Amino acid sequence: MSRLISLAKHREIRTVIFLILLFLIVGIVNPDFVTVANIENAVKNSLLYIVLAAGITFVLLTGEIDISVGGILGLSAAVSGMFLRDGGSIFLAILIAIVIGGVIGLINGLGVTKLRISSFIMTLGMLEIARVVQVIYTNGKWVENLPKTFKEISQSSILGINTLGVIVIIAVILIHFFLVNSRKGRYFAAIGDNQDGAVLIGIPVKRYKVFAFVISGICAAVAGLIFASQIGFISTTAGIGIEMTVIAAAVLGGVSLSGGIGSVIGASVGAIIMSSINSALVFLKVPAFWNSAISGLLLILIVVADVLIVRRANKKANKERLNARVLNYQEGA
Amino acid sequence: MLKKIPKWNLVLFLILIAEMIIFGLMNPRFWNINVLLNSFNDFIGIAIIAFFVTFVIITGGIDISGGAIIGLTSVVVGILSQVAGLNIWVAVFLAIVVGGLCGLLNGILIAYAKVQAMVITLGGMLLYSGVALVLVGVSGASTYEGISGFSQGFINLANGKLFGIPHSVFIFFALLLFAYILLHRTRYGRYIYLTGINQNSAEYSGIDTRKIITSTYVLSGLSAGVAGVILTSYLGSARADFGAEYLMPILTAVVLGGTLITGGKGGVIGTALASIIVGFLKLGLQMGGIQTQYIGLATGLLLIISVAFLGVPEFKSNVKRLVTIKKDRGGKLNA
Repeated sequence: MSRLISLAKHREIRTVIFLILLFLIVGIVNPDFVTVANIENAVKNSLLYIVLAAGITFVLLTGEIDISVGGILGLSAAVSGMFLRDGGSIFLAILIAIVIGGVIGLINGLGVTKLRISSFIMTLGMLEIARVVQVIYTNGKWVENLPKTFKEISQSSILGINTLGVIVIIAVILIHFFLVNSRKGRYFAAIGDNQDGAVLIGIPVKRYKVFAFVISGICAAVAGLIFASQIGFISTTAGIGIEMTVIAAAVLGGVSLSGGIGSVIGASVGAIIMSSINSALVFLKVPAFWNSAISGLLLILIVVADVLIVRRANKKANKERLNARVLNYQEGA
Repeated sequence: MLKKIPKWNLVLFLILIAEMIIFGLMNPRFWNINVLLNSFNDFIGIAIIAFFVTFVIITGGIDISGGAIIGLTSVVVGILSQVAGLNIWVAVFLAIVVGGLCGLLNGILIAYAKVQAMVITLGGMLLYSGVALVLVGVSGASTYEGISGFSQGFINLANGKLFGIPHSVFIFFALLLFAYILLHRTRYGRYIYLTGINQNSAEYSGIDTRKIITSTYVLSGLSAGVAGVILTSYLGSARADFGAEYLMPILTAVVLGGTLITGGKGGVIGTALASIIVGFLKLGLQMGGIQTQYIGLATGLLLIISVAFLGVPEFKSNVKRLVTIKKDRGGKLNA
């Protein structure tokens, strides 16, 4: 067991090392990349992805998948954006977004647990539905002219550091402790690790799966608000394709799609990597059309390398265990 | 005779008939056979890929890279024929080979390195659509207009007609026949099912399951290549973003067609019927005066409802299992 824990630890450390290497290598080519201002910028640009990745980690830990996050992001941003534009209060707008995200997450969760629809299919359908509802609600128009006070939220800073950045990083750390140290937090990984076992030891599996989808939905809605505040307008294509980037980020950060393995910190580091690749390419003066190819290639390389490393480690551990047993037996005889 | 047809296919057939009657009543032009046959052009790409994604899903995997491979092969055809000046049919052949190679890469990483299919095809999706963008960027073609100027012979591949019936109808049925024979009438097809039902037992009975799984991804990649070529021919230009929105309709066709997403059960006839249903649904809603962007709502709901409906027997058996376990447990577990 301790070996397993050390392996899991290694996985996150590997992700962090990769992030540092990325910054170092790009920094050698172009020293401007590793200035404090740019690193802060990189974190600021990845806030959206960090929030989404943290939410989706809950779902992935239970062994399900949620690809409706892009749709939830767009819909909640559009609805609360229109509310703000028409003079609504910021507090209510945030509440509206969270309710929308929560309700869609609840529907996803109930569909997966009660109707036993595969989560991939359920959330894929929900992604499409959320997009269409967004188009219907906004009449296919962009939501512009958001109030200045709302846009300033993403620009404000505490002690020279972006406020939202501080809040998100603290929240991620708190969520990490919740998932790792608290009894209920550990239920999520337990369900993904061994669902039948979780049922047998009395974990309300279905309820926690629904919770996971609701949390992911709420995180997507919050990401929508961050998006609206940072960009200042919401197009009809806001957040299109973002779900794939976020899943890729979580996988990069060591979250397993078969459930039970991973942490929000890993997923967040993965999110920073995914969004830093874009700006790294700018600093390397590589044309922007390379972005997607490089992200895809990195994802495949890292995941395959990781699987092979873990398998080799497991094989070696098994062999050592067997050898030790044989030696013990011989000594005993 | 009727007993031999799987029940779900019969249901799908009835849905198709009902759909045609309803849309026909909404707009009589829907009953025009030429309109219906021409609409095959709009969903042929989805249908072709869906036939072979059915194979992948029966083995218990999933392939979401099909749409990206369409964009890549489309660009490859365009660049090889228009920029490099190769003969168009050589370019078509090479593009389909590229599609197959993409599938091979997916398959090898999934079957031999044993990485999850979802992760690899997600990475593949980013990679292949990215490579398509890179090719367009390097060759200096315009991203928005795409590469055009194809010969009439190539344009006719999808737009031409034989006996007044569009070529795409023939392509649809030819590939359907090929997929049907391969999956339902050969030993290879039985191996695919067995691999999906229980990979271990398939392995023990001497089937090289890794080869079987890899081959399904290659077929899926090849079919995406064919779809990319046909789409390029139909629209008369090559663009990297072709097929970007195909993920959802492809999976809808496969799942609505009665293939279990967990593997082991399904068939191409159901997929074919489902892709026609989805294609006609789109056409009918458009003719009924509903805006294109709202149609996603209908297909999204169709996807969820069909899966919920198909999942009902499984749902019942699960309830039964849970109840019996409780009975066997007795009352002492909580003590």
